[in-house]
Amino acid sequence: MKTIAVRLGQVLIVLVLVTLLTALLINLLPGDPVEVIIPFGSDAQREVLREDLGLDKSLPEQYTTWLGNFISGDFGNYYRQSKVDPVADRVTASAPVSILLVFYAQFLALLFAIPLGVLTAQRAGSKFDRITNTTMFALLSIPSFVLAYLLSYLVGVKLGWLPAVGYTRITEDFGEHVQSMILPAVSLAVGQIAVYMRLLRTDLVATLQEDFVLMAKAKGLKPRRVMWRHALRPSSLTLLTVAGLNVGTLLGGALIIEIIFDIPGMGTLIFEAISERQYVALQSLVALIAIAYVAVNVTVDILYRILDPRIRHA
Amino acid sequence: MVFGMFAAACGGSDGGSEGAQPTDDPSGTPPEPEGDPAPGGSVTYALEAETNGGFCLAEAQLAISGIQVARSIYDTLTAPNADGEITPFLAESFSANEDSTEWTFVLREGVKFHDGTDLTAEVVKNNIDAYRGTYEGRSPVLFTFVLQDIESVDVVDPLTVKVTTSRPWVAFPWTMWSSARFGIMSQSQLDSENCADDMVGTGPFALESSSDWVVGESMTLQKNPDYWQTDANGVQLPYLDTLIYKPIPDGTQRVSALETGEVQMIHTSSTQQMVERLQPLADSGDINLYQTDSFGEVNYFMLNVTKPPFDNKNARIAVAAGVDRELLDEVRGGGIATIANGPFQADVLGHLEDTGFPAFDPVVAEEAAAKYEEETGTPLEFTYSTTAVEENTLTAQEIQGQLAEVGIKMNIRSSADQATLINEAIAKDFDALGWRNHPGADPDTQYNWWYVGSLVNFGGIDDPEVIRLLDAGRETADPAERKQIYEDLNRRFGEEVFNVWTTFTIWALAAAPDVNGLLGPNLPDGTEPFPGLATGAPVSGLFVNTTPPAGG
Repeated sequence: MKTIAVRLGQVLIVLVLVTLLTALLINLLPGDPVEVIIPFGSDAQREVLREDLGLDKSLPEQYTTWLGNFISGDFGNYYRQSKVDPVADRVTASAPVSILLVFYAQFLALLFAIPLGVLTAQRAGSKFDRITNTTMFALLSIPSFVLAYLLSYLVGVKLGWLPAVGYTRITEDFGEHVQSMILPAVSLAVGQIAVYMRLLRTDLVATLQEDFVLMAKAKGLKPRRVMWRHALRPSSLTLLTVAGLNVGTLLGGALIIEIIFDIPGMGTLIFEAISERQYVALQSLVALIAIAYVAVNVTVDILYRILDPRIRHA
Repeated sequence: MVFGMFAAACGGSDGGSEGAQPTDDPSGTPPEPEGDPAPGGSVTYALEAETNGGFCLAEAQLAISGIQVARSIYDTLTAPNADGEITPFLAESFSANEDSTEWTFVLREGVKFHDGTDLTAEVVKNNIDAYRGTYEGRSPVLFTFVLQDIESVDVVDPLTVKVTTSRPWVAFPWTMWSSARFGIMSQSQLDSENCADDMVGTGPFALESSSDWVVGESMTLQKNPDYWQTDANGVQLPYLDTLIYKPIPDGTQRVSALETGEVQMIHTSSTQQMVERLQPLADSGDINLYQTDSFGEVNYFMLNVTKPPFDNKNARIAVAAGVDRELLDEVRGGGIATIANGPFQADVLGHLEDTGFPAFDPVVAEEAAAKYEEETGTPLEFTYSTTAVEENTLTAQEIQGQLAEVGIKMNIRSSADQATLINEAIAKDFDALGWRNHPGADPDTQYNWWYVGSLVNFGGIDDPEVIRLLDAGRETADPAERKQIYEDLNRRFGEEVFNVWTTFTIWALAAAPDVNGLLGPNLPDGTEPFPGLATGAPVSGLFVNTTPPAGG
């Protein structure tokens, strides 16, 4: 109970700090939101809109109004000259897209990184280890958007193996959905594979020097069992931490990939909010990402306990 | 008039060069297939942007993507033809009194909106009043001062509307087109609280359900089975059953989507894409391609003439003469654009081959810069603002390099986004802006962009001669005199260098090889369709099926 209360408290503190900082930063952006919405409006029209948007109030007042609404489930709106789009509606449409993209990217990254990390740790210092590391560094040095364009053109346009651009919702056609997500997910995953592999390899190499591993080998356990059952789990904590942090980053940070592959995700929503000076929408989106960050890290903490008994019994 | 600033802020300057396309020769359009167009089929059309603000037309500030959607759902009272004349479209006819202070529009009988209600003079009056800000419940911004010379709009009979203006307005019917923005909405939409989403027009396609528009993903339109327009053979338009608009902002990926068949039609103004990808695809017969600058926009730097340095004519001349626009087009524009010496493209009234605009001449540039320094005591230096889009930034860098060679220092300010650029323009907080605007129509439609005191006269032009010519052009009926007026206006721009013109924008429509009818059908009066693409193109004539020619 205490833990839950502590966690909720943490969420609230993070929420306030992040959104307060966002509110301060976006107010520093040049450009008046009212002038962006109705650039050619009369002074009277602008004053009316300014009142409607609450921009005639002080920044602290605006912020507390927004926070109160957010906590009660009102995420605000995108305001345009003739149209008000609830942020909740847009998030409902975009969040699942981003969540799926992040999931696929992370899944792919871990699918390759874990076996490669294990193999290179087992063969530390060997030719295989050196070649793999060099290849990983090369992949890491390719910006994800460059890779995205290359994959889209080569695999999508020239070879026609997968869609070059476009997104099919999972509810429309699962097969087409998966096809439409492969290239975007690979574009995001490739850089992550290198990072995850290196992290795991480093931790595994250290763990394999531990006494309990020596003990397991001395007891006659097979090398595969020693590695996967005994060494891998305690070596995964750093990997898990970084993967958790990446989930949060990718949720709102995959904008370029979204644009290249025309995927209607959260990154596009955030970019739209910034470009159009939609302060309320932006704060709500940032707050949602912050909540997702905390949720992911809570999950990571729980997984720590599962993976490493030492933490469980600490 | 075009609120092309959004597109302009993105479009930047493509430069220009020799080897430009003749404007009366649409490029790359393969022959039409044998047989007549037949009903049926579906086309997915990729646009360069979504229209997040919706389609409450009187209040909307549509960029080209929005205009393209709007002209699918709505009709305008008038529309231009291939000869650059304005003709009746949704109106059956229009006429003026002797001094062009009263314009009478007779509507087509039997036209219905998508909700089944009739097109009537009352609805049209309400629309015009909505656009000009006198209709309760609607709050337009820009059209209010575009239409400020309208005194009253009256219903004469159920199908006749009369517009009375405060002074002669010879080109008024062009304003009823307004680059395809002046669509006529149904009464229900006019009065709707969700005017931006409840889209009901008389156009060839209809949005049948709000769920058919997923913002940022697609908009699916269904054929209007009761559309009023037919083709020359009496076949009802449109031919297609379904038209799907899909925003794909990335230009490279938009072409890829066409190439892979993800979409069947795209538009683009990227000369790089045209040269490197679209033309080769068209040459191999893999796509239908139509690209043109006919009646197109002009790329230019807009100069702020209200403050230093460009309140000084020598500064303006120096910059104009210091930019090698042909080289600029070679380097940045694919070498296919036409150099602009004024705002009016070759097909537009007022166009001149020689306007007196300074040609590229480093000696002239250096001399003018030296005179500027002598007069002001400071060397010529200015800041060029543009959006932080790769193409625009690279173009700005090319210009910067060219001006450096003649001793002019140009700083580049790549704004983070269009919002900042818009605010800078409105506040006149800039020296020079990369801009694109003035799609070809009657030059009177450019009135507010250059008239002193206008909200959208961002450069702050305050020239008695320009004022005189704009007013004269609005009020003069004689075609020969109007031609002279706008040519004089063009010369005035050339002489005073209020803006540094670079090239005319080329737009391209590219489609799958079985998609035809890109420019739309002939107009109701039998004249050929307007060849310009700067404000989109009609979709009522698109077809993917054909019937065999008669006689086998």
